[in-house]
Amino acid sequence: MKVRILELDDLHIKFILKGANPAFANALRRIMIAEVPSMAIDEVVFLENTSVLYDEIIAHRLALIPLRTDLESYNLPEECQCGGTGCSLCQVRLFLDIEAVDEPITVYSGHLKSEDPKVVPVKDNIPIVKLARGQKLVLEAYARLGRGKDHAKWSPVSACAYKYKPIIKINTELCNNCGLCAEICPKNVFEMVEGKIKVVNELSCSLCRACEKVCEKEAIRILGDDTTFIFNVETVGSLPPEKVVEEASKILEKKALKFIDALSSLTKEYKEGES
Amino acid sequence: MIIPVRCFTCGALIADKWEEFVRRVRRGEPPGKVLDELGVKRYCCRRMLLSHVELIDEILKFEEIRLERRPSS
Repeated sequence: MKVRILELDDLHIKFILKGANPAFANALRRIMIAEVPSMAIDEVVFLENTSVLYDEIIAHRLALIPLRTDLESYNLPEECQCGGTGCSLCQVRLFLDIEAVDEPITVYSGHLKSEDPKVVPVKDNIPIVKLARGQKLVLEAYARLGRGKDHAKWSPVSACAYKYKPIIKINTELCNNCGLCAEICPKNVFEMVEGKIKVVNELSCSLCRACEKVCEKEAIRILGDDTTFIFNVETVGSLPPEKVVEEASKILEKKALKFIDALSSLTKEYKEGES
Repeated sequence: MIIPVRCFTCGALIADKWEEFVRRVRRGEPPGKVLDELGVKRYCCRRMLLSHVELIDEILKFEEIRLERRPSS
């Protein structure tokens, strides 16, 4: 199996996975969405809320704010030595205390004060609520690690998908270079070069087959290579994109090892029963 | 009521882009261009900003009126 990175920035990674199969690619995708842990607010204690939004709505908005996640320093509550009751190893407290005195104000995610300077909202300008003069909001929030399968707020990715690597075959004997395929292609895969159709953008093909349909000579064949995958992963900012892929692979490895363990102990039991 | 924190469909963060979006569109820039420059690519996220009405501003006016009408003691 080979990996080649095509694009990488703060929030987004695009890579090719070569020599895999659909089952493996899908396992990786599903783990990235549902099982890579990240930090999110999970419990909110309201001390005062005279704003126009209900406590529940504000708690929900707070939960959806992505927090910078430090996977090395925190445990999942169910795996923590405190047994999930909440200690400094598995939860972070955040505070908010704000009042609109002279004029209406907007409360932003930047107003949240965190116990741990490493676990803070990824953006400071996310509006939480607006307060009219005299309104007040005082609360205490607890952020914990969690997984996307329990609540989408814990999913470190937004868009996370793969496609088969496109294979575009042009039969040069049949092709009359009419250019219809170049015209209809939504991804501009084809280009006319000196009167001849050429594939210039093979990877951006979405396998829609519009070119196949429009070609009167049936000279184009579009195929997907089901051993090579183009992954597109976009994170919400809680973890860097390359870290999400890395963590997902580690989780998959752990699952496979657990399976081997279970299998070997079962075969041992079976053989002992036989003799 | 107030701009949703995330896109309903894909879960991408959008609330942080709202204020810049409104400011620039009010100044007369075409909304599509502003969305492109803010890096809002997918149409699920684009509709979140495009179709949003910030009703909380209207609600806050009632609170302000109530304050003004309150007899000063």
